[in-house]
Amino acid sequence: MKLIQTVNATGSSATLEFTSIPQTYTDLVVKISVRQSSNNGNPYTPITFALNSSATNKTSRYLLGEGTGVSSTNYTEFYAWTPSSLATANTFSSIELYLPNYTGSTNKSISLDGATENNATANLLAIGAALWSNTAAVTSVSFTTTAGNFVTGSTASLYGVLKGTDGIVTTSP
Amino acid sequence: MPTMTYTPLATVTLASTASSVTFSSIPATYRDLILVVNASSSIQTELFLRLNSDTGSNYNTVRMQGNGSITGSASTANATGARLNGNGDIMTTLSFNALIQFLDYSATDKHKSGLSRTNSANGVDACAFRWANTNAVSTVLAYPATGTFSSGSTFNLFGVIS
Repeated sequence: MKLIQTVNATGSSATLEFTSIPQTYTDLVVKISVRQSSNNGNPYTPITFALNSSATNKTSRYLLGEGTGVSSTNYTEFYAWTPSSLATANTFSSIELYLPNYTGSTNKSISLDGATENNATANLLAIGAALWSNTAAVTSVSFTTTAGNFVTGSTASLYGVLKGTDGIVTTSP
Repeated sequence: MPTMTYTPLATVTLASTASSVTFSSIPATYRDLILVVNASSSIQTELFLRLNSDTGSNYNTVRMQGNGSITGSASTANATGARLNGNGDIMTTLSFNALIQFLDYSATDKHKSGLSRTNSANGVDACAFRWANTNAVSTVLAYPATGTFSSGSTFNLFGVIS
């Protein structure tokens, strides 16, 4: 896994984006630590993410732990969750996306693990399966708030994972 | 220049259907192993693992899952393979991925444990598994409960150095 790029929020933008992603890796990993400046009445608030800026052909399923119970839901959007302005100050979410075979000519499946932080019982732990039913190679990944901007201190890092062989491990078939 | 933290060990892209995929002669020189699967299958099914070709009743798992409306948790003790996901999560169209960590796989003083996250259009799962054996892991076998992996499915193994 090799760092490709890190982007940092300045507090004045609702989007964090990686563009012109090199097509030389096998998989992509995105790790983000973010918080939103506003709220939708909840200490944890969704952000959306997109591949190649596409708003279509997106389906996702989540298993959510909210401190007091667990639920599962599905969407026609890609979501992750972050602390909002109602959450404890200086708390950020920790979110990881894994995109296997991002240059391939098949639909793109994504694994998501994420947690918000808040010094209270209102918290959210999410694991998610996202599917972009599009066979295009992934050239950009973007995250967009639903409540204000990404606050200063929010950061996102993109990593490339390269497959290969060490000449020792054998495989079958 | 950033340093690679995942060392690529082996890769399999199926040119035809296969009832299993095996990684053998895995060196004991890493701290952890990561297996990344992106697969479809001939019928909807589940992903299983076996280590060091052990077909004994030595695999224990606990997992939680959601299919978009229903949540669940299940555990299995003394099984002949480690089941990583819920019913039918490997689908006939390519939407399934699995990220599987084998922790401290080369130690010889502990049972081997691991964590997996599996995802598909049918559901999302997290699983912890344990192989009741203290041998270092040198072989990993991935197989579907029924049917076969489809052509085009990929399996990539990485080593992580401590």
